[in-house]
Amino acid sequence: MKQKFTQLYLIVVFIILYAPIVFLIAYSFSQGDTMTNYHGFTWRHYQTLFSDSRMLAIVANTLLVALLSSLIATLIGTLGALGINRTTKRVTRESLLTLNNVLMVSPDVIIGASFLIFFTMLKIPLGFGSVLLSHIAFEIPIVVLMVLPRLREMSASMLDAAQDLGATTRQLLSQVIIPFISPGIFAGFFMALTYSLDDFAVTFFVTGNGFSTLSVEIYSRARQGINLEINALSGVMFLFSLLLVGGYYWIQQVSQKRKQRKRGAIS
Amino acid sequence: MTQPIIELHQVTKRYADNTILSNINLTLESGKFYTLLGPSGCGKTTILRTIAGFTDATTGDILFAGKRINDVPANKRNVNTVFQDYALFPHMTVAENVAFGLTLQKRPKSEIAERVNQALRLVQLADYGDRAISALSGGQQQRIAIARAIVMQPQVLLLDEPLSALDAKLRRQMQYELRDLQQRLGITFLFVTHDQEEALAMSDEIFVMNQGEILQSGSPVDIYDEPINHFVADFIGESNILPGKMIDDFQVAFGGHQFECADAGIPVNEPVEIVIRPEDLTLTDLAHAKLTVTINTQLFRGDYYEIAATDGLGNDWLIHSVNPAEDGDQIGLTFRPQDLHVMRFGEKEAEFDARLETYEGTEDDRFDET
Amino acid sequence: MIALTKRKTWLYFIPYGLWLALFVIAPVALIIYQSFFDLGHHFTLANYSTYFASATYLKMTVNSVWYALLITLFTGLISYPTAYFLHQLKHRQFWLLLVILPTWINILLKAYAFIGIFSQAGLANQFLTFIGIGPQQILFTNASFIFVATYIQIPFMILPIFNALDDLNPAFINASRDLGASNWQTFRRVIFPLTLPGVKAGVQAVFIPSLSLFMLTRLIGGNKVITLGTAIEEHFLTTMNWGMGSTIGVVLIIAMIIVMTLTGDQKPKGGAPR
Repeated sequence: MKQKFTQLYLIVVFIILYAPIVFLIAYSFSQGDTMTNYHGFTWRHYQTLFSDSRMLAIVANTLLVALLSSLIATLIGTLGALGINRTTKRVTRESLLTLNNVLMVSPDVIIGASFLIFFTMLKIPLGFGSVLLSHIAFEIPIVVLMVLPRLREMSASMLDAAQDLGATTRQLLSQVIIPFISPGIFAGFFMALTYSLDDFAVTFFVTGNGFSTLSVEIYSRARQGINLEINALSGVMFLFSLLLVGGYYWIQQVSQKRKQRKRGAIS
Repeated sequence: MTQPIIELHQVTKRYADNTILSNINLTLESGKFYTLLGPSGCGKTTILRTIAGFTDATTGDILFAGKRINDVPANKRNVNTVFQDYALFPHMTVAENVAFGLTLQKRPKSEIAERVNQALRLVQLADYGDRAISALSGGQQQRIAIARAIVMQPQVLLLDEPLSALDAKLRRQMQYELRDLQQRLGITFLFVTHDQEEALAMSDEIFVMNQGEILQSGSPVDIYDEPINHFVADFIGESNILPGKMIDDFQVAFGGHQFECADAGIPVNEPVEIVIRPEDLTLTDLAHAKLTVTINTQLFRGDYYEIAATDGLGNDWLIHSVNPAEDGDQIGLTFRPQDLHVMRFGEKEAEFDARLETYEGTEDDRFDET
Repeated sequence: MIALTKRKTWLYFIPYGLWLALFVIAPVALIIYQSFFDLGHHFTLANYSTYFASATYLKMTVNSVWYALLITLFTGLISYPTAYFLHQLKHRQFWLLLVILPTWINILLKAYAFIGIFSQAGLANQFLTFIGIGPQQILFTNASFIFVATYIQIPFMILPIFNALDDLNPAFINASRDLGASNWQTFRRVIFPLTLPGVKAGVQAVFIPSLSLFMLTRLIGGNKVITLGTAIEEHFLTTMNWGMGSTIGVVLIIAMIIVMTLTGDQKPKGGAPR
């Protein structure tokens, strides 16, 4: 009885969570032009989407910004995490962490508005550059937060051991620390990528006229009403997310398996 | 005398107001097994870390084969460490761990492979090279940590409580193996532990430490038989420590009686402490008793009975006896003069050694007949 | 580690330090600075006096906080049982992944989906017609705004609560049962207090963004609900009154700090009981 209730509750929650997504994608295959009354199957909206050169350029922009900003943010964030981890004074560490988290907890509009003031004051033109800089900026703290726990797991005696066996600072970094924290770095890069792809508000503030990302484009089209090309786009993006999640878990599985294979050798 | 391999001259270590080490002097000779023994926080690990190069000495010199190495970084010192938590690299296989130091030295692949194999054979894990660290048991990880250090062919191997995480049986086995390994390699081992049994079993020489100072050094037998003060007597082995008074050379009073003893060179009427090990006390009938005690409780320990008793003055006694006693019984205790060890308050190791010089030799003649 | 690693390594820290200075400290300083300037770039306190004297702004602020509270409350009421039941499942990590998956869909696409669902002839009205109530105006109402915002926030609440449940040592539950507590008593006296940090983290993750979801108020709320976020966006990008926008921004920052303090972990620092 209780079991039944639990199941029912979860089923309802999952239906609510997924209904809009299923609804959205289902209508991307509808022959009509609105999201009411299904009119039979068609690929038409996908054809429109893939021949919409403006949309394709925006997709390319979005991916370029996401990849570039994630790479740079991962680099800076990892170095930052290494730095924070090296601080010995508790006060310094706590205040660095607090500062690090400011952008994590700030509402998007505040980040967007303050960056807009910042770029305007420095006379940095709004467009690709300002969007890229903003994305790097709000991705750095998540990278730090993903890398730091791994660094903390690293025991001090392990670093002593590496030195004891003759490692220089550079070798310590390249042969012990980086390989050890690489799962954290990878997770950080991945999170940065999703933050970038997901962002709307910050980009909306700092993008100017000439440059647009997918989120901004969807917003302006959605304000004009229903357009099933957007449904087709969401179908493509959902598939892309699935691939990304799948890829992420696949890589994790592989590294787990590699460990297990070695472990398996014992018996 | 040969050149000592490691020397510490007046080494101190302070963090802000805390003195971790005060005026440490110690000399390690080549090819011996040394132990730093003391309770946790006594500074023994700090000594190890200053020798390894992970910690700076605040003042004093650290010499390696006669050369000052205070400013030589850890990665350039010819000593290697086996860490308490093993500190094996979890992202490398067993062989990669052992090969780590040699790889950094850019040795030829064939040489690395051979030396790694040799080291793994030495710790009896020859076939384990391809395994992940997480696939090893605690005891196996311990051996790999040793292999990783000895593959570097250090002249001194530092071991920081390496057996503390193992269960009792494995620990005993590893004691034999470590001792054996040290003798086969012929290098100096400096072993840190808080376990006095471990120290007594393995060492050529023990340094007993407390609160940042070395209290006494010497062979396990010397330290067990002639502890320099209350702390050492209490820390090493079990003991009965009683207040007493020196009557004359070889005569001491405690527990309300006067007894013959093996110590001399102490001023008459000086208050002293007397140590008697529980296994040196023998139960006897009241007629032959040197002291009379009342039995309180006893525990069967397998190879002996541990008996707790009280004498007429209220002193507690701990007795190890092969035969059981009856709770509440009055029973006699007897012991030989050389089973008593007299300790002066505040006597330093140098003073103790000097005093011993003055009457040693006479002592052996006196008790020959017993 | 001694001398060996101390030297030169601070160079690695420079990019991160620059980021802290330019993109964390400077922007916050700038938004506070900007809030003291009027449209003609003159120093003024007028923005603040306007804000605190104007019934419109104050009402907007109260409304915004009230809606954010409602959204947080509904999200919590739905999420706690979900996380709790989810945690009892066999393949819970897989199900949790399914909860997280929708957060990967762009928030604007989800909002867009609801434009379709809530439209005059949309799915929701078809359902209402089917059960006999008849079609209603759903889109561009306050209720639809709260519904969609709650929908979007649910995974962000479930996740920290689930993690808190995961951190809970099952021995505590066994101990509570062993001492004679019923299931409900165990939940109320042991499980809930110990997972409260997860709830607080969830509140942080939901409440603050709910104050500033300007795209939802535009797309779903039809500008009926004006949140602090909407007002900021309006001042910055439409009326170009950056001073006033920054003033509201400062209010939002203060609101954020209050929420963070209220829900922050109250671990007694230094062991002194409070």
